[in-house]
Amino acid sequence: MLIWFLPLFLVLLLVGLPVFFALLFAPGALLWLNGQERDITLLYRNLYNGMDSFPLMAIPFFMLAGELMNRGGITLRLVEFSQALMGHLRGGLAHVNVLSSILFAGLSGSAVADTSALGSMLIPAMEKQGYSRKFAAAITAASSVIGPIIPPSGIMIIYAYVMGESVAALFLAGIVPGVMVGVGLMAMIKLMADKYDFPVASQKATWGERGQASLKAFFPLLTPVIILGGILAGVFTPTEAAAVAVAYALFIGLFVIKTLKFSELPDVLTRAGLTSAVVLLLVGAAMSFKTVVSLSHAPEQLAAFILALTENPLLLLFLINLLLFVVGMFLDAGPAIIILGPILGPVFAGLGVDSIHFAIIMCVNLTVGLATPPMGLVLFVASAVSGERVTTIAKAILPFLAVEVVVIFLITFFPAISMTVPRLTGFAN
Amino acid sequence: MGALLAAARLLNGILTPLLAAGRWIGVLAIAVMVIVILIQVFCRYVLNSALPWPDEAARFCMLWMAGLMAPTAFRAGSFVAIDTIEAVLPKTAIRLLSLFLLCVSLAVLVIAVQIGWKEVNGIGGRFATASLYLPTSISFDSWYRIPRSWMMTSLLVGIALLILVNIELLIRGLARLFGRGAELPQLPGTIASGAE
Repeated sequence: MLIWFLPLFLVLLLVGLPVFFALLFAPGALLWLNGQERDITLLYRNLYNGMDSFPLMAIPFFMLAGELMNRGGITLRLVEFSQALMGHLRGGLAHVNVLSSILFAGLSGSAVADTSALGSMLIPAMEKQGYSRKFAAAITAASSVIGPIIPPSGIMIIYAYVMGESVAALFLAGIVPGVMVGVGLMAMIKLMADKYDFPVASQKATWGERGQASLKAFFPLLTPVIILGGILAGVFTPTEAAAVAVAYALFIGLFVIKTLKFSELPDVLTRAGLTSAVVLLLVGAAMSFKTVVSLSHAPEQLAAFILALTENPLLLLFLINLLLFVVGMFLDAGPAIIILGPILGPVFAGLGVDSIHFAIIMCVNLTVGLATPPMGLVLFVASAVSGERVTTIAKAILPFLAVEVVVIFLITFFPAISMTVPRLTGFAN
Repeated sequence: MGALLAAARLLNGILTPLLAAGRWIGVLAIAVMVIVILIQVFCRYVLNSALPWPDEAARFCMLWMAGLMAPTAFRAGSFVAIDTIEAVLPKTAIRLLSLFLLCVSLAVLVIAVQIGWKEVNGIGGRFATASLYLPTSISFDSWYRIPRSWMMTSLLVGIALLILVNIELLIRGLARLFGRGAELPQLPGTIASGAE
């Protein structure tokens, strides 16, 4: 009987009930119908205990650090640095867009922040150079998904917490896949640049100019080194690293680059707080949901159902990628991970798929979903930033999505891509 | 119908300053979270002596931040939901559906507030926090150990505020259904995105 909470949950989601309420209502209603009223109290306790977590505190901190970097003019320095390296190539600004996203990913971990920060700067600049607005918006949206793949990453913190994995291991496992997405996008830009004769952005920078741009970007680029270096060296926990990132962003914004004003801080803190509050409630509700998932034996039944389709793990991973891709079209990555992690994680662990590998498959696939129509979050942000219609951007983004899908399958079928770095550093077996 | 509009205005008058105060406390809470964690990093790695209280104090602040700021996000429509169905339904059906969904969320919140009240006043709330104390004299020679109920109240207060917001949204939904939407006071737009 209890297993019916899953279809009920799905129906409630599809008719538009906010995920937070659906995560609590569906299991609660079924527990009540099943005569297990006492366990409804357990739902509330797990909601509270799920939010009362030290590791989870990294989420508001990384969000705050991203906001501070964005306001502090760091984005401009990253773009200038990227331009000094790649601006002279055919399709220069498109390459600059992707490289800036890779660099920005090491600071913020948010695709939405990437799209709005880089898009507002690069889309008008690309238009001025003769690119179509839809192309500029599409490459901005496509490259922004690198944000939550390369560490730090909000969704990886959520996954690690909900599924009991190591944040550091997930961060490390995301580095190569994130860079692969970037390199893949650049390869596609190269193909398109040759075919459609894209402009170059600027003359080849001299080594002096490159040195100057590197110097200006030095402090922002030190952020990922501090975060990852601190975690890897055992100096900080991920939460402490995130707090240090906040202090560092504040320091360089206020005193080094001097583009951040004290008067902006309340707004920055409010934005980070509001977003974090919603995420914290969702994660708490996910912990309640997870309890009922275990009580209902849903993973075992789902595993039996999936194994009835095929016992070939490669084919299963292919099918699961299709499922995740479809889910990603309609749901943002965070809530999708919160919902599907507890259901699918145990199934694939039982099939012998490494939990870190599976986590990366889920995170990358659902992150790419942020740029897929009809509900891709970054498509909407790119539309708001560029003034181009979502449907137009959705068509222009297809070649880049194809690249990202190829990367997803490479990551899926070659575990070494994601697992080598965590294994080499001793964070995975 | 006049009563609905009056109720919407009354709730708007109560919630706007209440949630603004909540946001300010939330802002302070985040700032304190960052500061105490940095103090901990400094003490642990520079002075080589970890303090017992910063981790718990930061969690205390985070829980209150979430409880006090989430209602603002809910009011602004920033709770994540799939809204594709709105594209295929006529306007009246969408309004009726959103009223139904608000009733479902209200049911969740009302049950949650009842359980939350029992939890805060139950055995769990009577336990003391592990490391949080308040001075009870100016000379700092007597201290009060903060009970867990002070932390647990954060979610209870958050849910109570969410109920008020939910009722306001229900009333506004009813007013819109009867064609009086234009006379409603303005609410803030979407303000939060997500971890993506």
